[in-house]
Amino acid sequence: MSNSILISILGILLLAWYLSFSATRLDRCHHRVETSWEHLDALLQRRAALALEIARLSDIDPATEMILTSSAYQSRAANIGDREDAETTLSESLKFLHRNALSGEITIKVAFIDELSSLTDKIRTAIAIHLEAISSVRNLRSKLVFRFFHLAGRAKWPEKYHFEDDEL
Amino acid sequence: MNRKLRIGMVCPYGWDTPGGVQIHMKELAEHFQREGHIVSLLAPVSDESSVIEDWVVPAGRPVPIPFNGAVARILFGPIATSRVRQWISTGEFDLIHLHEPAIPSLSLLACVAAEGPMVATFHASAPKQKAIYAIGPILEPILEKLSARIAVSEMARETLKVHFQTEAVVIPNGIDAGKYSRGERNSDWYRPHTIGFLGRFDEPRKGLSVLLSALPEIARSIPDVQLLVAGPGDEEQVMKNVDSAMRSRIRFLGRLSEEEKANFFKSVDLYVAPNIHGESFGIILAEAMAGGSAVVASDIQAFSDLLQNGEFGATFKNESSKDLASVAIRLLKDDEARKALAARALEYSKIFDWGTVAAQILDVYEVAIASGVPVTLASENRGWKRLRSE
Repeated sequence: MSNSILISILGILLLAWYLSFSATRLDRCHHRVETSWEHLDALLQRRAALALEIARLSDIDPATEMILTSSAYQSRAANIGDREDAETTLSESLKFLHRNALSGEITIKVAFIDELSSLTDKIRTAIAIHLEAISSVRNLRSKLVFRFFHLAGRAKWPEKYHFEDDEL
Repeated sequence: MNRKLRIGMVCPYGWDTPGGVQIHMKELAEHFQREGHIVSLLAPVSDESSVIEDWVVPAGRPVPIPFNGAVARILFGPIATSRVRQWISTGEFDLIHLHEPAIPSLSLLACVAAEGPMVATFHASAPKQKAIYAIGPILEPILEKLSARIAVSEMARETLKVHFQTEAVVIPNGIDAGKYSRGERNSDWYRPHTIGFLGRFDEPRKGLSVLLSALPEIARSIPDVQLLVAGPGDEEQVMKNVDSAMRSRIRFLGRLSEEEKANFFKSVDLYVAPNIHGESFGIILAEAMAGGSAVVASDIQAFSDLLQNGEFGATFKNESSKDLASVAIRLLKDDEARKALAARALEYSKIFDWGTVAAQILDVYEVAIASGVPVTLASENRGWKRLRSE
């Protein structure tokens, strides 16, 4: 009798340890999603600022200038839902600008081109790491233990934005 | 990034035994130090007096263990664990960079012991092993702690994906491209129609035998062809199996110094890498390209990936000396095509220079340290301690 009580207490303790261990794992992954997004967000803001500066200070045609300026303004909007399309437009127009600047069709300051390519490299890396963090959270949360014991609590299901699939 | 970082690197293999991972880490650490960052590197060391770098911290003597078909000098156990913990707690690191943390050695121990910004580089590539079903559940929660993962090649990334279902950023191995471009043609070695081979030539997987069987065929079209074989190995053993008519066309140069290696790439018309298997990246091809050679390589996956399917170096069907001979003859006869290939490759090899590669690694560091917390020992963060201190 006392033996079975002992075993069940041990079992409960073990389960408690395992749940706390699993919750720590999940917490760490959630944390990574947040910090990697914050970093990516900061880089995107820097890119928008750079796009505005290029549009303002370079001798480019008004159509390009308009696209750059409007998408850069939109991508500084607070709501991510509104931003998604703007980020894609910005990626596309900057890619276009970069290509033309390299072939000499458009002249922008060399410093701008350098900053743009180094920023683009950083964004590419930041997106890859952010997506990886998201998929590890999704992986964990789809496991039985995590769902059954509600280990994720009220944490939001990590969202992936469609501009993160863009080719930069 | 303008901020100077305190970086802790962990090497899983014996620092004083030669190996690709060790060379990679040494050059990366030296590059970061030239840029003003502070690097401390923890590694197993067999003979402490042989370590000349003052930024290398010996963690104990490694044990030779057969692993993945080779002998790996690794370090584990309670003493190593406490050394790792002490190194982490006194290092005040902004970030820890682990190499090969899936190998049961120091890097894995550090991954368990540390909490905070951690980046890992995965070098090896291997087909999926059965044992992964047993060790996967142990490694998964540990490797999950990494803030970001780097794979040195598409193959290494694939390996990581198959074994642990995680993604990685691909950043290639680095080389000092400037060193190879400064090489000079050695007139004692060079004559028109020279083919070069470099490596431990008595290891069958390096594929010298494929090249040797292609030689008679090449000599029929190009009688004055010369083969330079550089690297350590038993010459007589190799020559025994060579057709006597070919022997006069083969020269052994022995082991080359780093400087001689740069001259070597300048002194051959074609650099041939006939490796049969066992490559994950192919750094030798990057070096040959940076040295200005036109490259011919077997079409094993690592080489095809690195040469972008023939764009920056010709490939031949793996283990086929016939195919190798026809590719080599075509390039040796067509000076223009060969020079164009070498010029394309030289331009392309810039992406392997440490200047480019280290900047990409720093981009990854930047994401990892975005949370703003430094590296600590994992146990200091346990929930009950946090409660007690509040």
